[in-house]
Amino acid sequence: MPKDLETLTREKKVETDFQSSEVWAKVAGKAVYGIDLILPGMLYGKILRSPHPHARIKSIDTSAAESISGVRTVITAENFSCKPYGIVVDDELPLACGRVRYIGDEVAAVAAVDWKTAEEAAKAIKVEYEVLPSVFKPEEALAEGSPQLHEDFPGNVAWQRDLERGDADAAFGDADLVVESAFSIPAIHAAYLEPIACVAVNDNYTGLTLHTALQSPDSVRTIVAKVLEMPLSRVRVVGPVMGGGFGGKVYGNLNLYIISSMLAIKTGSPVKMLLTREEEFIAGRPMIAAEIKLKMALCRDGTILARESDIITDNGAYSAQAPWVSKTISERNDSVYRIPNIKTRVRLVYTNKVPTGQYRSYGNQAANFATESLIDMAAKKLGIDPLQLRLLNCTRKGDLTVHGLQIKSCALADCLQAAADEIGWEKKIRGRGYGLSAAIHANGSIVFDKNFRGASALARLELDGRVTIFTGEQDYGQGAHTAFTIIAARALGLPPGLVTIQSRDTLISPFSLGALAMRQTTIGGRAVQLAAEKLREKIEITAVEAGSESTGLREGAVNGSSANLIDLAALARYYHGKTSGLNLVGEGKYVPEESDYDESGYGNISVTYSFAAHAAEVEIDRTTGELTLHRIVAVHDSGRIINLLSAIGQVYGGVTQGLGMSCYEGYLFEAGRVANSTFADYKIPTSLDVPVIDYQFVERGDPEGPYGSKGLGEIVMVPVLGAIANAVADAAGDWVTDLPITAEKIYQLMAGWECE
Amino acid sequence: MDNQEVVFTLNEELVRVYADPAESLLTVLRDKLGLFGTKVGCGRGECGACTVLLDDQPVNSCLIPFGKVEGRRIETIENLSRGEEYHPIQKAFVEKGAVQCGFCSPGMIMSAHALLKTNPQPSLQEIKTAISGNLCRCTGYKQIEEAIASAAEKKSRR
Repeated sequence: MPKDLETLTREKKVETDFQSSEVWAKVAGKAVYGIDLILPGMLYGKILRSPHPHARIKSIDTSAAESISGVRTVITAENFSCKPYGIVVDDELPLACGRVRYIGDEVAAVAAVDWKTAEEAAKAIKVEYEVLPSVFKPEEALAEGSPQLHEDFPGNVAWQRDLERGDADAAFGDADLVVESAFSIPAIHAAYLEPIACVAVNDNYTGLTLHTALQSPDSVRTIVAKVLEMPLSRVRVVGPVMGGGFGGKVYGNLNLYIISSMLAIKTGSPVKMLLTREEEFIAGRPMIAAEIKLKMALCRDGTILARESDIITDNGAYSAQAPWVSKTISERNDSVYRIPNIKTRVRLVYTNKVPTGQYRSYGNQAANFATESLIDMAAKKLGIDPLQLRLLNCTRKGDLTVHGLQIKSCALADCLQAAADEIGWEKKIRGRGYGLSAAIHANGSIVFDKNFRGASALARLELDGRVTIFTGEQDYGQGAHTAFTIIAARALGLPPGLVTIQSRDTLISPFSLGALAMRQTTIGGRAVQLAAEKLREKIEITAVEAGSESTGLREGAVNGSSANLIDLAALARYYHGKTSGLNLVGEGKYVPEESDYDESGYGNISVTYSFAAHAAEVEIDRTTGELTLHRIVAVHDSGRIINLLSAIGQVYGGVTQGLGMSCYEGYLFEAGRVANSTFADYKIPTSLDVPVIDYQFVERGDPEGPYGSKGLGEIVMVPVLGAIANAVADAAGDWVTDLPITAEKIYQLMAGWECE
Repeated sequence: MDNQEVVFTLNEELVRVYADPAESLLTVLRDKLGLFGTKVGCGRGECGACTVLLDDQPVNSCLIPFGKVEGRRIETIENLSRGEEYHPIQKAFVEKGAVQCGFCSPGMIMSAHALLKTNPQPSLQEIKTAISGNLCRCTGYKQIEEAIASAAEKKSRR
């Protein structure tokens, strides 16, 4: 390892860092999650779902369901307008209006006094269907004469993009080598351990309150208010503890929230609804499947000249965030290396299958599998070491990438070298396979809404001398609030134990975009830092006014120059009395510079960018194709690490999810029906499946993030896929190009069988 | 089925509960007895979030018909701490960063608790095997394994 890197890389020793008090409730079994909620007079809601992948609804008869004792209401599409809504494109309805488009589509819903009655009533609703022809494969859905899913989207294309930067065609003409391959990635479920649950409460005085755990509560309540045609200030989201999200709970399951709200409005009682694990799989919002055709042009010396991609993503019946995910799949990996010429076509296509959404890193990990495999294919053909090929081309600090990303900090080359060194690139063990992979991830998007790029926070001095931080940014175990606590404590000069983070009630927290696009620490944390600094300023001014010359805060008191310490509680009460009831409050707003992002999608999309390189060491049983993962080395440039213990937890967890996607996971369908809708059939890694994971952080800092930090939570799973794919290819002699990489596929590859 | 009286030991107390013997133990614990520490992740015995101890053995409470607990001992996560006094396994989970979303934690801790009762100094492989029925999506299991090893070590030193 280079000398300077050694000093900048943390020791692997883990210190016990600060942990938020909520963690104690979690280990004691006292933390209240969505599934645990009970309110007085609460009813239970259940959805009747379509048994057909595509059908016209001829009639719905709810009379038998309504006559069951204990049933309080039954709702159908008639309770809503039939105007589609959506996150990116408007194609979704809370309850089907005359037509169902996948097995699981919501047809009707009931509220009853208990689960059993609700289930019985849902089954008693009589629906007459006229079955329509279905289409399950995107390429068939694109063909002329195929069944059309949505009138507003002719040709079954929900979203598409054609993009050219530079002159790719000319570059391909000049190239010494052109490599190409096609890759296939199935739909992946975030598989958070707590299925989505909510309780909706409606009353004429306060309006609608949704008790549900969301990564982006303000985005969800904005959509719910719009669909229910309610004023935004009458819709509030209060969050219980969240049992995992990983992108799947940014918007969660909007139809579930809208349906439970309507049941609550109709009955005047709180209504609890949840998805069973099976419903999570058949009617949740997994990340889109993708077919990626890639072509790359290189010089003999390994310089990459151009890349061309043709991507079809499988939307299922409705879109959720799938257009954004398709966009990330199609372009984020272009900025890992200095690729001057790009030609891209991406089409998001409707099929009669489960609707799709997003998962940790927005498809960047799916694209990493394809683009990083192709890098190694090129290296093999050129006879260049894959590490050297990457070092020759990789993005560096100060670069403006092909899509206009401004790289203000970047230690990617160091990450690559460190990952290779740690895995033993120069001293490989015979019979084992080694693979490398590199990644970039946007860190704090500023283009979701060009007019709302940043975040704000409030820091309030309480009458007892403690400090409360109000933020709309969410923590669900990934450590955002612990990071905020540490950031606020550092800015205030207080022990972290005196700081509490409040984020779970949209009525009192600042409006926020929430936990997505790795914006928590970088954007949310910066707002917290600014709010805390503002409060500190106000405390110091007030302390002077109250009769003390102050120079700073230490251990819950203002440090006077005369060594007289002022009790913060006394100061808070002084201000409270003087103003007849106000608290000292610091407001922080972090508004990143406006982006030069243009209509072609060129421009800086994020305040900064995180980088990573992973290396994998594997072994293949040559008789059976069975894959043994010996080790993953994960080296990250996430700027300065705020909380090492949770940073390590993010790496371990993210690498394990990457491993799951590489080797085990993926939706299987039989004529539109999800064939693996249980954890027995949709396998996520267990403790016995996880190899040794070694982590390193290259802490160069960053000019934008609070205290030089950058995001980590999403990029941790990205390079795993390419690293494993390349290690398998190193051992097997060729690449498995369709995920997951199973023993069967490796065996077929080595035996030279034609895969289906 | 009709409700019937089932007498069993719950968290070291003898209790009589009237409930449907065909209901799962999980449903009775949560919906009848208000013990919400035991979580529901799948309802099919595949995720381990509902792990409790039945006569010191870890079981998926979603798979145990309530009638079967007659005369037996049940221990849930609620028995491991008293107010601010936490069990060494719980402390180790916090210290080692073994908790992220925390949804698997009660079941995971109960599996660890069962392991350490019968095997106070387990090997890493024994720890991995003991929690292999408890799915965790957040942590990659590493810090959980470290926590269990650390709790075992502290126990043996005392």
